[in-house]
Amino acid sequence: MALTDAGEVEATLRAVLADVLGLDPARVARFDESTELFGALPEFDSLAVAGLLTELEERLGILIEDHEVDAEMMASFGSLLTFARAKTLR
Amino acid sequence: MSVPAQSYAQYQAANGPEWLLRIGDPEAAPILFVPPLFEEMNRTRALLVATMRGLAADGHCCWLPDLSGTGESLTSLPEAKWDDWRHDVTNASKHVAVAHGQAPLIAAIRGGCLLDDAATGSGHWRFAPVPGASLARDLDRASLGGGAEWAGYHDASAVLRQALAAAVPAGVELLRTVRLSTDAGAADAKLEGPALWRRSEPGNSSEVAAALARDIAEWRQTCAAS
Repeated sequence: MALTDAGEVEATLRAVLADVLGLDPARVARFDESTELFGALPEFDSLAVAGLLTELEERLGILIEDHEVDAEMMASFGSLLTFARAKTLR
Repeated sequence: MSVPAQSYAQYQAANGPEWLLRIGDPEAAPILFVPPLFEEMNRTRALLVATMRGLAADGHCCWLPDLSGTGESLTSLPEAKWDDWRHDVTNASKHVAVAHGQAPLIAAIRGGCLLDDAATGSGHWRFAPVPGASLARDLDRASLGGGAEWAGYHDASAVLRQALAAAVPAGVELLRTVRLSTDAGAADAKLEGPALWRRSEPGNSSEVAAALARDIAEWRQTCAAS
């Protein structure tokens, strides 16, 4: 049930960020590619990482290997979106 | 709405007495909750208690046990075994059945659905059941991004971790399964709301709690009539 549309992947990523980090969806809707996330957003701490990855896997129908996960990949909305699209739209 | 009666009782668990939280009139129809496991238990405690209060206000009596090595337990987590937890769920259900003179409905959430078949109940209700392997993978992953090993449960024994990873929800009679709409798994009903067990800051949702309480109450009626 993997998604095939780049827009759907982006919408799913925003929904997961709002759900897992407990953020206002209106605020997440304003995130752009340069919005800093991991290490910059207080809600996005190490405790939130596992939940975010698992929820992305379930909703995008992908499998994320541990070695693919690092601070750079989660640094900004743009980097996370690039990763999610590359995993989903292959 | 009046504040429902709340008290604590002890039941005989695997390694000695453990606490049961009771919310509701002791004369009312009983429901035993089997809580999520590890970090998810902390993240969903407020949701569970809000659901229990909603059911209590609607004429039910809800019970929530501490399992060996969790909550207020005097057993340390390294000593807790998977079979202890199954034994605890069995004995908690017996305690409630004796207290009420009737078997409770068993309401299990997330990892609690891996243990709930050990309980004797009038029926089973599950919210967002999950294979133990998924929970173990989440805990394994907690150290990614610089977090604590096993989300702070690093002293859980290797055998407990292995038993968790091997556990799957068992088939039970009179079962109703509810999931969130974002969950692709099979369910009898889906509802809108946040996956609170994923949040690093424990949260609550009065909407989800109210929806769960309604669904549990209806299923208890169905089971009682069958």
